[in-house]
Amino acid sequence: MTPALQVGLALFCLGLATVLLRGRLLAMLLGLELMIAGVTVILTYQAGIFGDPGGLAAVVLVIAVAAAEAVVGLCLILRLHHGGRSGESGSLAELRE
Amino acid sequence: MLTALWALPALGGVLCLFTKGETSKRFATTVAAAMLGYTVWLSCVPYAPEAGVWGLVESGPAWIFGIRYQLALDGLALSLVWLTAFLTVVSFAASWRGAESGGFSAGFWSSFLFLEAALMGVFLSRDLFVFYVFWEATLIPMFFIIGLWGSEGRRHAAMKFFLFTFFGSLFMLVGLLALVTHYHAVSGVWTWDMGELAGANPTGLAGLLMFVSLIIGFGVKIPLFPMHTWLPDAHTEAPAAGSIMLAGVMLKMGVYGFIRVLLPVFPRLSWDLLPWLGGLACVNILYGSLCAMQQRDLKRLIAYSSVAHLGFCVLGVLSWTPEGVAGGSLQMLNHGITTGALFMMIGFLYERTHRRGLSDFGDLVTRAPWMTFFFGWAVMASIGLPGLNGFVGEFMCLAGMARALPLMAMVAAIGIVLSAAYCLPAYQTVFWGASTAGSVSSKVLDLDLREKVLVWLLCGIMLYIGLCPTPLLDALAPSVASLVADGFMP
Amino acid sequence: MPIPVSVYLLFLAPTAALLVAFFLFRPLRPQWTHWPILASCAVVAAASMDLAAKTYTGWSMDAPLGVWMAAGSWEVYFGVRIDGLCAAVLAMVAVVGGLIHVYAAGYMREDPGFARFFLCFHLFFLSMIGMLVSNNFVQFYLFWEGVGLCSFLLIGFWTHKQSARSAALQAFVTNRVGDLAFLVAILILLKAYGDTRFEYVFGQMAYGGGPLLLLVGVLLFVAAASKSAQFPLYFWLPDAMEGPTPVSALMHAATMVTAGIFLLARSWPLIAFVPGLGTLIAAVGGVTAVFAGLLACGQTDLKRILAYSTVSHLGLMALALGLGRVGIAVLHLIMHGFFKAVLFLCAGNIAHGLGKSAADISEVGGLRKHMPFTLACFMAAAISLAGIWPAAGFFSKDGIIEACLEAGPGWAALALTAAALGAFYISRMLFLAFFGPSPEQKPGHPHEAPAGMSVPVGFLALGALLAGFLSPGIGRLLVKGAMSPEESLALAHFSWPVFAAGTSAAVIGFAAAWFLTIARPRFDWTWRREHPGLQALVASDFGWRHVVAFVVKTSWRFAEWVGGALDHRTWDGFLEWTSPAAVSLGGAVSLKSGRLSDYMWWIVMGTAALLAAALI
Repeated sequence: MTPALQVGLALFCLGLATVLLRGRLLAMLLGLELMIAGVTVILTYQAGIFGDPGGLAAVVLVIAVAAAEAVVGLCLILRLHHGGRSGESGSLAELRE
Repeated sequence: MLTALWALPALGGVLCLFTKGETSKRFATTVAAAMLGYTVWLSCVPYAPEAGVWGLVESGPAWIFGIRYQLALDGLALSLVWLTAFLTVVSFAASWRGAESGGFSAGFWSSFLFLEAALMGVFLSRDLFVFYVFWEATLIPMFFIIGLWGSEGRRHAAMKFFLFTFFGSLFMLVGLLALVTHYHAVSGVWTWDMGELAGANPTGLAGLLMFVSLIIGFGVKIPLFPMHTWLPDAHTEAPAAGSIMLAGVMLKMGVYGFIRVLLPVFPRLSWDLLPWLGGLACVNILYGSLCAMQQRDLKRLIAYSSVAHLGFCVLGVLSWTPEGVAGGSLQMLNHGITTGALFMMIGFLYERTHRRGLSDFGDLVTRAPWMTFFFGWAVMASIGLPGLNGFVGEFMCLAGMARALPLMAMVAAIGIVLSAAYCLPAYQTVFWGASTAGSVSSKVLDLDLREKVLVWLLCGIMLYIGLCPTPLLDALAPSVASLVADGFMP
Repeated sequence: MPIPVSVYLLFLAPTAALLVAFFLFRPLRPQWTHWPILASCAVVAAASMDLAAKTYTGWSMDAPLGVWMAAGSWEVYFGVRIDGLCAAVLAMVAVVGGLIHVYAAGYMREDPGFARFFLCFHLFFLSMIGMLVSNNFVQFYLFWEGVGLCSFLLIGFWTHKQSARSAALQAFVTNRVGDLAFLVAILILLKAYGDTRFEYVFGQMAYGGGPLLLLVGVLLFVAAASKSAQFPLYFWLPDAMEGPTPVSALMHAATMVTAGIFLLARSWPLIAFVPGLGTLIAAVGGVTAVFAGLLACGQTDLKRILAYSTVSHLGLMALALGLGRVGIAVLHLIMHGFFKAVLFLCAGNIAHGLGKSAADISEVGGLRKHMPFTLACFMAAAISLAGIWPAAGFFSKDGIIEACLEAGPGWAALALTAAALGAFYISRMLFLAFFGPSPEQKPGHPHEAPAGMSVPVGFLALGALLAGFLSPGIGRLLVKGAMSPEESLALAHFSWPVFAAGTSAAVIGFAAAWFLTIARPRFDWTWRREHPGLQALVASDFGWRHVVAFVVKTSWRFAEWVGGALDHRTWDGFLEWTSPAAVSLGGAVSLKSGRLSDYMWWIVMGTAALLAAALI
């Protein structure tokens, strides 16, 4: 397991743990970004190993999508705050059956 | 010709849903009476017992995995088909007045017709898949009958009934699937035909598991201890007609499954496990009787007595002797008639007073002597008084088991003392005795003409079978001979 | 061999009478219900006399009438067997039964349940006849239970009385215990021999049987002990006196209770083959005779005295039978039928005259002035019971004492004690009811019974006196067509020592009774007041009734525990608990909590599982 893969896996697991264990939405968003970062690292490394330009293109796409998704997520969280709701995921249970 | 036996009631049920009020009652009863007539015609005219074990057969095209629509009629099936048709007519006639003014709605009558169709299908089918489909189909109308038109605890009783029996049926499905797969693995043929699968005879652990799951599936219906606790609630809360059909016919499905599916396919295993299964049947008899002694509700008492009586049937069938199997088959009919009569009369009492506790009555012999007389007659048949039908069935079952495992027959025979001990005090409290404070006996009018005709008919049949069971036994003989000839004669 | 008309008439006449009475007379003219039934009694009596005469000439028959149940090669038939044994008992049952039917027409005249009574009564009569002429055990069982059913209906005839209802229930359930033993014996016989016809089964005895036969024999004895009120299953009989007097007279004196003895007599070839069984039967019989005789001495209700007396005499019959003297037992059965019926009917006349259904010794006294005819009949029957020559009872009791003297000193002591007790209690009853009155009694002034009730009693009293002279004829009749060896059926021969023993026992009893009732008129009441403990002991049958009550109560408690605690609360409770448990389990592992973190966990877990499955 090369260091690049280790770093990528570590980033991914850190992000996963943050998403699962933290209750605040902002923290979960950060965790999501960390997961994406970890996946990007691994993808870049693998693209470098195989010399595949398609992999690098995918990395650029992923960064762009991550940025867009971060914007949308932050907007939603801001909306929640403006609407007076708390930022805890546990209190947002309208989908409960 | 055989398809009509289930298709006509089903069609009648559908049509009945479009009618209202009195019309639905008359329409449904006409359909039921027509079915009874058709059944009687079927038994006299085209079907002759000497034509072979499977007297009339009807088959359709094959489907997947060897499933084929196949119906067949032989002596045993015919007797149960007749019982179904007859008891449907009886339950309609018993519900004529309805629990409230205005009678029952159209759905009530259709449910019974659907139930009759499904029951006919169960007894007629020769293909195991068709058998399973009809088996499950009986649950739905019964669920509605108990749940919509029963008494106070009906919701709970209907759910309990459905969940219990469905749970058992799932085991049956698993067992059947395993059996068919095993047969395919052994012989390379996909078939769900009862006759062909009878040669399967699986052994070993797989066979044992199949056997046990089928026992659970059929045993919940019989009901075999310890899967019997749905019965008291279901019987008690069902309307009178529902109890008649439930106790009279639906319980027999389990024993029928034993005779048709379990014993022919697993002869070795059922013989080896006879001490266990027979022991369960004995527990049925003794435990059911003891529980019945404690009951204060008339319907619950008869429900537990059904548990005991079916124990005798199972003992007879398991004994692998001609008299045992014939006795078990005959006792199925006897129990249907006797318990049908008892539930019908309890239904009459409930119609008049909306009560059915033992302490709610007393001294009915003064107000309703005919009801006392007929109820006493049915009680005597139930406790197995010789000369009435209960004795013939029980005696033959015990005689068969005495040849197989004498000790078990002796233990089971204790049931005759217990049956007198639970039936007669209840009969005395309700019909003889003095009116206690709070009794509703003064509201009870004696039987009117319609009711008298019904009970005369049922009680007359009880006496006839008791003294002269030969015609019935002759009709059952070929089916019995086919089973016992294939298996072991101890 | 063609079946004679009399045999058909035996069944057809009562059946026809019952149908006509039920469908025609009862709805239209209930007070005439007894006419077809009395006609049937006459026909049956004539038919039974005809059969007795035929059998006396050496004719007998044992033929099947038709199949009852059959499956495969297993069959049970209806059949008829007429031989000397059943012809003799049948003749007694027909004559005594017919006369009691006539009596009942008068006794039950004012009762609103007149029609119902006669229908049940005659159904019983039909069942008894059917039992006597059966040729196989299963058919015997059919009529045995039929007799039990009629007993239930007739003991509880007055349904409004709690005591009558519980007596009826007690009788039926106790008899059912015996029926259970009978049924198990039949099942064993079916398994062993495949056929329960008497001729066939007894023919197989020669091939030996071993432990199976012992079991069958013991079971048959238990069945007979419950029906014929041997200790310990006798207690239903005194309580059965709740029924109307004709019921007590016919069923619980002359016929139904003798069914057990008849079963043993019929099965004698089987019983004789089991070593020790005869001794057991005789021992139980002897103990019963003395036990019940003692209890009869202390009863206050007239019918109960006679009930315990019946138990005692049934014990004597069992004693004689167990010692191998079947003929003597059957002779006593026949004679007892006559004199006991008279005694019961006289008690019924007394009660009827007083306007009640039963009479206590405190309500009677000095009746010889008011009821001389009843007194005469009672004395005739009392002499017969005590076994004084030339009354009928002498011939049979003499035979029993002879059998016991031959068998050993212990048996002789039992028999002579029972004889002395018999004389004692019947003389006590005679003195207390008809003589006196004692200062303790407050007698009513009953009138003599009307002709419809006195005439049958008179005829029966004549029978109780003179039937003994028929005993040689009966003895010859019994051996005709018999399945048992001749020496078992032989009657006793007269011998002076036996005569002396029997008569002195009777005289001792008579003298003791005279001493304690006429010489000391208050004694019967003072000992109860001064010794309440002793009175309680006697009232509870020396404690046996407490034992029975305990057994019954424990059984009910057990049933309640099984039905309530075990089934309803424990097992059903567990099954019902599974439903809410499943619901809460579903709630706990709910996939739809609405919380993001739950959903994330599910996603992660699912993905991990899929990956694991793919990689492994």
